[in-house]
Amino acid sequence: MTTQPPDVVPESADLILNRDPLLAFELGNDDSLPASSIDQIDLKIRRQDDPFSKPYWQQFRLPCQGKETITALLRKLRNQPVTIDGETVDPVAFDHNCMEEVCGACAILINGKPRMACSALIEEFNGMITLEPLSKFPIIRDLIVDRSRMFAHLKRVKAWITLDGTWETQQPPLRMSPHDVAVNYLYSRCMYCGCCMAACPQYDENQEFVGPATLAQVRLLNHHPLGQYEKTERLHRIMTVGGLSDCGNAQNCVRVCPKEIPLTTAIGELGRAVTWQLFKDLFGD
Amino acid sequence: MQTSIHDSHFILRRLHSLFGLIPIGGFLVLHIWENGQSHLGAEYFNYYVAQPIMHTTYLLIIEIVVIALPLLFHAGYGLVIIGSGSAEPFRYRYRRNWLYWLQRVSGVAIVAFLALHIGLTRVAAWLDPAIYQDLFGYMQQSLTQPVTLVVYLLGLWLSVFHLSNGLATAAIAWGLTTNAAAQRRFGYVCLLIGVILGSLGTHALIGFLP
Ligand code: HEM
Ligand code: SF4
Ligand code: SF4
Ligand code: FES
Repeated sequence: MTTQPPDVVPESADLILNRDPLLAFELGNDDSLPASSIDQIDLKIRRQDDPFSKPYWQQFRLPCQGKETITALLRKLRNQPVTIDGETVDPVAFDHNCMEEVCGACAILINGKPRMACSALIEEFNGMITLEPLSKFPIIRDLIVDRSRMFAHLKRVKAWITLDGTWETQQPPLRMSPHDVAVNYLYSRCMYCGCCMAACPQYDENQEFVGPATLAQVRLLNHHPLGQYEKTERLHRIMTVGGLSDCGNAQNCVRVCPKEIPLTTAIGELGRAVTWQLFKDLFGD
Repeated sequence: MQTSIHDSHFILRRLHSLFGLIPIGGFLVLHIWENGQSHLGAEYFNYYVAQPIMHTTYLLIIEIVVIALPLLFHAGYGLVIIGSGSAEPFRYRYRRNWLYWLQRVSGVAIVAFLALHIGLTRVAAWLDPAIYQDLFGYMQQSLTQPVTLVVYLLGLWLSVFHLSNGLATAAIAWGLTTNAAAQRRFGYVCLLIGVILGSLGTHALIGFLP
């Protein structure tokens, strides 16, 4: 691809516009990846039988290839759930769906950090791989967590667009500049996996903070041609308990987001929008 | 829907951030600059630095309204904020995450340092007004004890770190720096400010030594 993103577009736009590395990888002629020679791997998995029981650890040894993903490994394990001590146990429960890092279902902690299991290759890790359920969310079973509070957060900040309104819906769509489209596209790729929430020191079950991904959706919708009509309401909804000012700028979110969504840029831009809104609320429009 | 100015949570957070900069941050800068004059000798310091401050009209009111109350609010609410987060500096070894963690650690350390510092100066002078006649000599006597000097150096650098890192995060919170590149650039500016303030403060402390 020759198209270059405009200067101001965050770096991750490269990922959309430049697919060469991906193609090379798929065709199997990417020299940057070492030939994989791993033939077996040890997995240490934190298990929990139900939401209320105690977690415990189990270890497994599985045949594998370096280019396999963690999800592939978990699927293999499901067929033969035998621990390293030879004990046959209940298969490990885990979430997955798209297998191409777009649905957000398979987020877990791999070696302590939030990752998508379907895009984490075994050869990226050395030695035993530790799998735990995604932190900050209630555990349902084994690696499956309940992320419904993320949906509640989206509702809370009005992360949608009202189609029925005082304007004509059959009007031609409002125009956006290609630059704005490119920037908004970055945010629209959020798959609500929860990795950023898991890594955020300000986000957890006992806090009201709506979390970085939710804030990024406010940024997205407030710049949407139709969404902008409810901009003020969304800003007001993040100018309260659990809103923008509960962010402590640790910026872990942007480091762990598998889609490289410019979360800290969203937070900075919202900071400015919220400051303006404060002045408007104080002194009138 | 309530608007922001009726939302106490939002207003408190913004006041916490604002007070950190003005007046507390401003006072810290002034305080470091003032004490930099320790290099000009005991007589100069006592006559041109200590005396004018003591003879400022409304001194007590200024001290309470401009320094003590905002500081108490910032520190008190700061402790509440610290309680609401869970830093994991060793799981996520990213620079900003360490700064996030250090901002909290330094906040708590500053509370302890300030209690000691105010106790040794302001409160001590209340009990013994003679201290103000030769403040320089008193500070010299205090700082020649290695323990006190080390505690002061620590308190200084932690406060300066807390202020300059706070400047960087306040810039994000208020929307001065919006994108990641600007935040990084301004981060380096804050680092420079921190190093300059810390050096000035160290220079000031050395100035009290015999
Ligand atoms: C020398 C005195 C102090 C100065 C100059 C100062 C200054 C600042 C500044 C400028 C900020 C940035 C605000 C923002 O990010 O929006 C800040 C944040 C903070 N301060 Fe202080 N502060 C001082 C003392 C304290 C004390 C005694 C505590 C008590 C624990 C404290 C706790 C905090 C906390 C927790 C934050 C982070 C707030 C957040 O990230 O949301 N500070 N401070
Ligand atoms: S912002 Fe990134 S890490 Fe967070 S939920 Fe969306 S895709 Fe996942
Ligand atoms: S920058 Fe804010 S939202 Fe992101 S991890 Fe840090 S505290 Fe959480
Ligand atoms: S299975 Fe959909 S993101 Fe991993």
